[in-house]
Amino acid sequence: MANLHTKICGVEFKNPVIAASGTFGFGKEFNEIFDISVLGGISTKGLTLEPRLGNPTPRIAEGRGVILNAVGLQNPGVDKFLEEDLDFLKSKNIVIIANVAGKTLEDYAGICARLDGLVDMIELNISCPNVKCGGMAFGIRPESVEQVTHAAKSALKKTPLIVKLSPNVESIAANALAAQKGGADCVSLINTLTGMAIDIERRRPIIANNTGGVSGAGVKPVAVRMTYEVCSAVSIPVIGMGGITCAEDALEFIIAGASAVQVGTANFTDTLAMPKIIAGLNAWLDAHGVADINELRGTLQLNG
Amino acid sequence: MKELTVTVVGNEEIAPGIFEIDFQLPEDIFFRCGQFVNLSVGDGLHLLRRPFAVLFYDKNTRTAGVCYQVKGEGTKLLSQRKEGDKLTCVIPLGNGFILKEEEKRVALIGGGVGVFPLLSVLGEYKDSDKHFRSYMGFRSAAYVNTFGMYDKRSDALFVATDDGSFGKKGTSVSLFFEDFEQAKPDVIFACGPTPMLRALKAGLSERGIGVPCYVSLEERMGCGIGACLVCVCHKTGGEANVRVCKDGPVFEIGEVEI
Repeated sequence: MANLHTKICGVEFKNPVIAASGTFGFGKEFNEIFDISVLGGISTKGLTLEPRLGNPTPRIAEGRGVILNAVGLQNPGVDKFLEEDLDFLKSKNIVIIANVAGKTLEDYAGICARLDGLVDMIELNISCPNVKCGGMAFGIRPESVEQVTHAAKSALKKTPLIVKLSPNVESIAANALAAQKGGADCVSLINTLTGMAIDIERRRPIIANNTGGVSGAGVKPVAVRMTYEVCSAVSIPVIGMGGITCAEDALEFIIAGASAVQVGTANFTDTLAMPKIIAGLNAWLDAHGVADINELRGTLQLNG
Repeated sequence: MKELTVTVVGNEEIAPGIFEIDFQLPEDIFFRCGQFVNLSVGDGLHLLRRPFAVLFYDKNTRTAGVCYQVKGEGTKLLSQRKEGDKLTCVIPLGNGFILKEEEKRVALIGGGVGVFPLLSVLGEYKDSDKHFRSYMGFRSAAYVNTFGMYDKRSDALFVATDDGSFGKKGTSVSLFFEDFEQAKPDVIFACGPTPMLRALKAGLSERGIGVPCYVSLEERMGCGIGACLVCVCHKTGGEANVRVCKDGPVFEIGEVEI
């Protein structure tokens, strides 16, 4: 068995496979199918200070190799998460990453202050494409990325801060640098790509919100390229995601420089996708005589 | 609920564009009528599974079946699956229809493909002391095919078609209200298109009928197990959402906005 143990910002992960925000709730439902303590970590459903009902339905559509979603940050609010879900996640001995969103700088600072010291890491969602006030306004330009990162970081005394980056921008590497400058301890990418699917009979978008975030196997090449660009630009750790379906996919991100990966849409196609990816990583490393997954990180060599 | 790889044992067109696919499970499950399966279409390119009400589950052969309408790419692919093909799924899902001990007289109201979830109720209670009266609505005579099951297991079966080509011209809801005095149901189970469920809700309210009524809802789903919050509907009053996949798909008709 190879070593899958990974350390990011001083936080110990038993393996580098993390459930991506929005696809895994707070872990309880998937735990009915498999013991989620096998995971490296979980990034929670996006939390806001107050409960939110989210967008009208339909909230999901499909293309070949991809899905589109526009849930719109439905969540029970941070207090209910702390009351009803945190203890369960703690009992699972996995890294708990609270994914948080807001409308204003004060919202971001407020929710970070509320969670400081209570979870292992905080992931700032400044790139939700599906709500008008989901933080996307902060996620587009480097100046505002730095500003919101700084506001969040200033509210945190104990918990490391991850900033989740949008791919729907001019330069994701510039935004990653802006997050680093704003005080981010880590960046994660990519959030979903904005897309649309049309019902030709009704001549209307399938999703009630009209547009939705595209994710799934089909976005992986874009995500790998962006992960490589960001890893080349910043000195803080990077968590990669986008279309990861199997261990080999995860290894592409690690070789591109990611410290860990998140898995989202694959959980919909196979509820056991993540345990299979973890087992697959072990098998691949053993078969290739690699004793430690950390040896692979950032080993990409570009063609002449 | 379990993640299982199942083997197709049959896949037949039973009415125009409507198929029944039967599959064998590798292990036994505890299935309650009205529950559903989230089933892959089996090509790897379509990442979402399709949620279908389970028509029956036979413990002896570990075989289950669902009926589905070919509507898009995914269901078209599913209709091409052959005996021996493997599909993945999560089964069983949702809360299902629950009959209380004292509820003896049951009205089943189905419209279109909404008749299928109700068939599982008849299957589960076929040897019980429950009495069923079924009210089924279809587009036309061509779609009435294979619903003989209702005939055998219901005390009475009433069929309506939109065009009058079979049974009465009208809807299952109109049939139900015409028969209501005679039926005197203790409980109502219904499934069908949204306009049908709205007509039922309005009809019950106008007539001041307080009989408990449970409806099985449909919504586009993501994970199917309650984690992703894709398939929600509003609770009455609009202050909160419920998840169709996990809190439902069966809801008391007054509990949710239809």
